[in-house]
Amino acid sequence: MEGYSLGIDKLDENIKGIRSGSNIMMIGPPMSGKEVIINDIVYNGLKSGDAAVIVTTREPGENVIDWFDYNNLEIPLDHLGIVDCVTKTLGVPTSETDNIKRASSPVDLTGIGVKISQFLEDFWMKKNIRKTRLCIVSLSTILMYSNIQTVFRFLHVFTGRVKAAGAIGIYVVEEGMHDSQAIATLKQLFDGIIEIKQEQDNHYIRIVGLGKKPSPWYEYSLDGAHIQLKEVKNGE
Amino acid sequence: MVNSMLETGIPRLDEYLSGGIPEGKTLIYLNHPGVEGDVFGMQTLYHCLTTGNNCIYIASSLHPKMLIDQFSEFGWAMDKYKDRLNVIDAYSSLVGDISSEKYIVPDPEDINSITEVIDQVIKDVPKGSVFVFSSLSTIMDLCGEENTINAVRSWNKSAKTNKIVNVYNFTAWPYTESTLAQIKTDLFNCVINVGGIAQQVIYGQYFGVAKADWLKLQEKSMLFRVLRPGGIKIYLPKILVTGPFNAGKSTFVHSLSTRAVSVDRKGTTIALDHGHIDYKGFSADIFGTPGQDRFDPIIKMISGEAMGVFLVVDSTNPENFNRAQQMLEITTGYGLPYVIIANKQDMPDAISIDDIRTRLNLPEEIPVVSTVATEKRGVFEAFEMLVERITGGI
Repeated sequence: MEGYSLGIDKLDENIKGIRSGSNIMMIGPPMSGKEVIINDIVYNGLKSGDAAVIVTTREPGENVIDWFDYNNLEIPLDHLGIVDCVTKTLGVPTSETDNIKRASSPVDLTGIGVKISQFLEDFWMKKNIRKTRLCIVSLSTILMYSNIQTVFRFLHVFTGRVKAAGAIGIYVVEEGMHDSQAIATLKQLFDGIIEIKQEQDNHYIRIVGLGKKPSPWYEYSLDGAHIQLKEVKNGE
Repeated sequence: MVNSMLETGIPRLDEYLSGGIPEGKTLIYLNHPGVEGDVFGMQTLYHCLTTGNNCIYIASSLHPKMLIDQFSEFGWAMDKYKDRLNVIDAYSSLVGDISSEKYIVPDPEDINSITEVIDQVIKDVPKGSVFVFSSLSTIMDLCGEENTINAVRSWNKSAKTNKIVNVYNFTAWPYTESTLAQIKTDLFNCVINVGGIAQQVIYGQYFGVAKADWLKLQEKSMLFRVLRPGGIKIYLPKILVTGPFNAGKSTFVHSLSTRAVSVDRKGTTIALDHGHIDYKGFSADIFGTPGQDRFDPIIKMISGEAMGVFLVVDSTNPENFNRAQQMLEITTGYGLPYVIIANKQDMPDAISIDDIRTRLNLPEEIPVVSTVATEKRGVFEAFEMLVERITGGI
């Protein structure tokens, strides 16, 4: 299949592949497992030979790699780049590694942009990898420190870079943290949305904008590091 | 004794600026997003400290306690110069952190709050000091475009009065046209463009002087890399010359280069041609590969590091164009810009440029240059075209 798949079977069947260069917002309530779903998408990409760049604004870079270890998911480290926006804000003297580059803080959009570009160059030019998944986890933290116009400008540049590189970008947003105008502003930059909702104790996921019509809602559960989907029988 | 021209410490830049920045002047590093431009301000700060200047660093996106760590990545030991370095902490209050700095901006989202602290520092430090703003774009993001532009005017006016040099790092995000125009033309005495060479990804970085009002400007630009440790270093790009057997690649390399060597046997290249060119302020190393397909791994190896490609074809031998296309496919797989050299155009049986374009099925925008490499005809025009394609006309 040309382009990308998420590795989440029912969603992939609905959208029949994601075009190279697509930028996708993932929005859902807190504690709904968005990081696990992102890591699952990253892992599925790495397994099929793609590269991945994860921008982490909540966890130090080492924790992201440890998560894969903890869940017994073997990943090719030379295909993974992490932009860590956390460690330097903790005041811990630290250095960069082959996999982890560190921005000064979530305010340092210049630094975040430079590190993303370096990984994209490394994968494209030096490692000859043509498919990369860029995941920003999460935009909401960046929006806590910078206003919407600032983040929009940053995303305007980097969604363009994702298109130019034939990569895909997935950007996590916490539902309820931002006003509807901010979300509407950001949506202009994206080709599709992965929506997550919670009703009572159940979580649901669907994908909008990447297929001919929105996928149905699927109830999901997280089995360790993997997402399991099931059809919702009585509609939404 | 401190020189009245303040050196930036960036290789070749002080040469371009006729010695550095004069007292009371202001300089901005105008950085394209994704390019390591912030290192320019850091390197200038460090160099100024090592050359005996008093410096003030305005930290906008990093806690000052991490400064030493950040500079040490480049091998720059800031703690040796603590007595001549003051830091204005315009970050900690933003994230609710505690600061031990003497100068703290209480509200980094209020431009007046920043100006008040800067005014205080100007009173406290000797004339001739150097102010380095770690990120003017962060200040602009927090305080607004118009407020920041107005504040920069007043900071620069103070610099002139107090014989201070202001140096700014600025990331040129897509701000309003008016803001970017004022930054590029009005606000600063000197503007240094720091840009990226991009195809699918940014694979090269350059800087060039766009404005310096104390000298007559000559267009010059240099490619650079950032080393850790080491900082900004000038980088000589590799340019690949490829093409089928007997197209005239070695002759092309030799006619273009100020100096060149070839490894050949009985007149046929069996390893590499290597030349060096320094032309109109742009330097490059040129590598020519043998034409036979058994040497294709060499093309791949050089393509991974090259900035651009010349594909040389023999205009009298269209039978070899299939092979030329194969070689082009190898290099374009790396996303490199290229120019076609239609060599041997002086021969009576040479086919036309248009014919070559059609037979090679080339896109409209790809230059096909008529050359006679043995007489150096067309070779420098071709070089200029490739540089234009690599740099986007910087």
